[in-house]
Amino acid sequence: MRIGARELKIEKRPSLSGWHAALISIGALLVALLLFSVLFVLAGVDPLEAYRGIISYAFLNPFGLPLTLNRFIFLLLCTNAFIIPYRAGLWNIGMTGQLYMGALAVFGVLALLGARRNGSVAVSPAILIPILLVVAAAGGAIYAAIAGALKGKYNINEIVVTMIMNFIAFWLVSFMIKEGGPFMGRGGEGESFQLPEALNAPLIAGVPFTLLLALGLALLLNFMFARTTLGFQIKAYGKSPAAARYAGINPVRLPILVFAMGGIMAGLAGYHYFAAVPGVYKITSNYGYYGDLAFYGIICGLIAMGNPIASIPVALLFGGLSIGGRYIQGKLHMSFGVDYALLGVLMITLVGFQYFYNNQIVLKTNRESLNKESLDVGVHSPES
Amino acid sequence: MWEFIARSLEASTIFTLAALGELLGQRSGILNVGIEGIMLFGATFGFIAAQNSDSYAVGFLVAIAIGALLGSLHGFFSITLGVDQVVSGMGIWILGFGLTTFIGNPYTGPLGMDRIPTVFGVSPFFILSVILVAVMWFVLSKTSLGLRIRSVGENPSVAEVSGINVARTRYMCVVVGGMLMGFAGAVYSLDYNPVWNYNFLMGWGFIALALVFFSLWNPWILLGGSLLFGFLWQLSLNPQLFLPGVFSRYIWRTVPFVITLLVLMVMSTKWFRAKWGSAKPEALGEPYVKG
Amino acid sequence: MTKELLAGRERGATILELRGITKRFPGVVANDQIDFEMRAGEIHAILGENGAGKTTLMKILYGIMQPDEGDIYVRGQRVKFHSPLNAIELGIGMVHQNRKLVNAHTVTENIILGHPNAGRVLNLRRAEQEIDELCRRYGFKIDLRAAVWQLSEGEKQVVEILKALYRGAKILILDEPTSALAPPETKKLLSSVEAMADDELAIIPFITHKLPIVLSTSHRVTVLRGGRVIARFDTSSATEQSLAREMVGREVLFRVERPAVETGKPVLQVDNLSALSSRGFMAVKNVTFTVREGEIFGIAGVSGNGQHELAEVLAGLRKPEAGKVTLDGAEITDAPPLARWQAGLGYIPSERNAVGSIGEFSLVENVAMNYYFDDKYARNGLVDYANIRKLTEEMIVDYDVATPNADVKAKNLSGGNLQKVILARVLTRGPRLVIANLPTQGLDVGATEFVQNKLIEAKKNKAAVLLISEDLDEILAISDWIAPMYEGEFMGILPADEANRERVGALMAGLKSEREAQ
Repeated sequence: MRIGARELKIEKRPSLSGWHAALISIGALLVALLLFSVLFVLAGVDPLEAYRGIISYAFLNPFGLPLTLNRFIFLLLCTNAFIIPYRAGLWNIGMTGQLYMGALAVFGVLALLGARRNGSVAVSPAILIPILLVVAAAGGAIYAAIAGALKGKYNINEIVVTMIMNFIAFWLVSFMIKEGGPFMGRGGEGESFQLPEALNAPLIAGVPFTLLLALGLALLLNFMFARTTLGFQIKAYGKSPAAARYAGINPVRLPILVFAMGGIMAGLAGYHYFAAVPGVYKITSNYGYYGDLAFYGIICGLIAMGNPIASIPVALLFGGLSIGGRYIQGKLHMSFGVDYALLGVLMITLVGFQYFYNNQIVLKTNRESLNKESLDVGVHSPES
Repeated sequence: MWEFIARSLEASTIFTLAALGELLGQRSGILNVGIEGIMLFGATFGFIAAQNSDSYAVGFLVAIAIGALLGSLHGFFSITLGVDQVVSGMGIWILGFGLTTFIGNPYTGPLGMDRIPTVFGVSPFFILSVILVAVMWFVLSKTSLGLRIRSVGENPSVAEVSGINVARTRYMCVVVGGMLMGFAGAVYSLDYNPVWNYNFLMGWGFIALALVFFSLWNPWILLGGSLLFGFLWQLSLNPQLFLPGVFSRYIWRTVPFVITLLVLMVMSTKWFRAKWGSAKPEALGEPYVKG
Repeated sequence: MTKELLAGRERGATILELRGITKRFPGVVANDQIDFEMRAGEIHAILGENGAGKTTLMKILYGIMQPDEGDIYVRGQRVKFHSPLNAIELGIGMVHQNRKLVNAHTVTENIILGHPNAGRVLNLRRAEQEIDELCRRYGFKIDLRAAVWQLSEGEKQVVEILKALYRGAKILILDEPTSALAPPETKKLLSSVEAMADDELAIIPFITHKLPIVLSTSHRVTVLRGGRVIARFDTSSATEQSLAREMVGREVLFRVERPAVETGKPVLQVDNLSALSSRGFMAVKNVTFTVREGEIFGIAGVSGNGQHELAEVLAGLRKPEAGKVTLDGAEITDAPPLARWQAGLGYIPSERNAVGSIGEFSLVENVAMNYYFDDKYARNGLVDYANIRKLTEEMIVDYDVATPNADVKAKNLSGGNLQKVILARVLTRGPRLVIANLPTQGLDVGATEFVQNKLIEAKKNKAAVLLISEDLDEILAISDWIAPMYEGEFMGILPADEANRERVGALMAGLKSEREAQ
């Protein structure tokens, strides 16, 4: 493309700095929101008003903000569940199944302790809540490790496996909580029994303690990737499994390990939504909705480019968008699924922007073709 | 009983059509994990178009067209822009999942049209799918076009120096593949189960994806796999026909998925690989940069 | 060669001409005013070292690259190639050194691929008859229905030649035609090449090292150096010395010093080792040998005779089917790679980019690949990146790696520099056993000499060195023991002073009589 004596050219990007990556991600986000306004316009809604509504409900409203924070915790855990295998070059899209297994493990322990029959347990919460966390993590980890083992041992495509395991877990939850299943609540059809009140997760300023847990884990993961031998091994395997094997990294153990670690995150996300969020404290009949939300973890992980620290603001933003989206859907009488549509549009825009991770748009004057004044499209295209 | 078999064949039709589309793309070296997304699009838009026009033909045409569109979108991302094929496929799946939930929601409920007539009690689409399998086999193994497609999937740089336009061949395959996936979706929503509901596919596309791996990239084996899974799927919906009272119906729903995993495992064993070799296209999933 | 035969109908007529071909790259003039002509029925070799501009010229001839200046004439007509297709249409065929074939396809499918007359529905029978005819004419023997992956390197080359001929090539470019062939295969190829020349084809072999081949086959030789045509001879008036002088620009002595080092105790002992290839056939068969401290044990062989699989088994990257491997007396037959590194093995893989390094990693991280498990560089599960950086910087100086700093990504380094990093990383560990798999492949003269000297230095430092090379001269120059390998077996183990080109060449081609004569 020519502009006067200058020319816009697309070139291979020699290297990608963190700063550029962030700009590209922000650019993708802005373009996605721009595209999404088309849907608002088609539904007869002023996009500006809609976005204002989303943001103010999600981040400023006293009813909306706690919802946003709870969703943020959930998404942050799901994002890191995606990120750990992703750094090893593997795709975990089984956060859904893993978080179901985490939740089932929690309610399984409680059922064993008689919570379903008695509505309470004899064990002190100070002991039991940590146990529940461990159990949730273990449930997710073991379930995810199956996918890792199939990948490491038999080289079976992990995308197919984790997705298929999502469906298996989905129907297992139905079996457990519906039609007389072992976790079915005494009153209602299609829900699990209630968490005993004493075991409701402690709140800090109205927010479950899992907030600190999720943030702490994100920081820990960042440290792991940056400094530890394990982090080095994961990164090496992610860039080149053959070279990693040459360097002595175990090609069977590593996939199992990263999936199990991802499963821990997802299992905790299951604990969070079904045993820590105020007002829920059970596996609800619409548990499928929470499972679907886990897919936001993929998008957050990709936008954060696998960086656990970057995933914090990204997950917060997306938590807000999905809560706010749901809200204005009702307020502006839009069709169901605004948050789903947003998920889709964000994802596909992000895919398009992947191109700019490897390429850049360069503005060149015709005479001096070596003049490398580069313009990052991530900054400029949304404004144009 | 006959009803059950007819329904199984119809279910297998959906697997066959979608997996055939995936197989074509993979043979040319393009992995499309967004198969379920394209099916959702085809099913939803086909449903809406058919209901509004009161015409099945319009419904199917719209489904095929949207499939072609999404196929070319996947092509644009993965061939032209060189984006990772898995990333692009995931994008298309999530786009399909998210957008159809929103767009299709006002149409929740039955289609409300006369059912498509059967041929000797069997869905006409089943017969069509078998014909398409034969056509696909013939094209891939007996024609010059097929040789070109296979070469592009095995070793694109060799194909290029032999005078084959790699990008064009791959585009053709993903677009035709997308059409088949869109069509498969419409067969679901217009014929197999003409009721629109949120995320109604629940894994059909992913099983179809697995079927391509099972098939060793051979259309006839693919047809066999589809028949088996059509039967399994139908069984999982109606276990009382064969084994009344064994397991909860929810447990039965997991059966096709569990068997998918088991087949994948058996196929990956050393024994199986030694016996059947690896038929996987060598350049599958790898972006090709000319020159 | 009978040059009298050049007097044919079209024989001797100029069919291809290059005038003033110039191609520049940032910082280099790869081709500088090159003139060149080909006559029908002529074999006209182009000789030059790596970096002399051969590859660029070849790409221009075949339409892969376009010249900045200069013209190409085919049968007197000025032509412009936009892609290889234009070249193919005008009767130019190319036989690539890194074979351009589809492994999963049959020979016939490869040959007819992309042929305009292949027909909508393939007629394989007709194609086979036509290819058979070509084979008879030029003396090629090949199973047309075999899949390409089943073929030897020599057979693959035949497929490439057939493909070009089937497309109607009248001018044939051969890129390093004998580099992957054992001597007897070379002989067969040359007689076919001569048959083609007798049939009025023009043949342009591009050759780097093998001067005797040039002398025995070609009619004319053009020598390139620094992107220019330095000399052109009628082959009858050239000698090996004169060619070498023109090519290198000085008198050459192809010698690296081979110091005698007192050998010590055995380090690597391999006993009746067998292993499968990735394709599932027995690639290594009952191999037994010992490598001692202070010696270089060279395995000579044409690519694909099991030496790669052997190296992988020893490095722990491939499971053996039978046999026993010990390192310093301790059995490591089934040990995982990490345990071998820790036991003092250092492996320099042949796949520099795919296995030996990680392109997206910085040099520091690449060096860490061999140190992240060392107590000195990683403690309590934490990698000591600062210390590894220091080590990397030392390596860059010691091994003269051309790089701005240690944070450059490996993918931005040239092949020679990358190999130096890998070599430095492995040798700095002070390994007991160094396995160097094709360590100098694709490197220029300077880097090759550097690598060879480093291996000799390792030997002086009492390491046992196992060298695997397809370059017979390299093996002869620096090894103390030479094992020619053919179809997975050692054809003998010769001490350096009993080995010579002819004898080892015959053994690595599997000539039994020679083996039995021992």
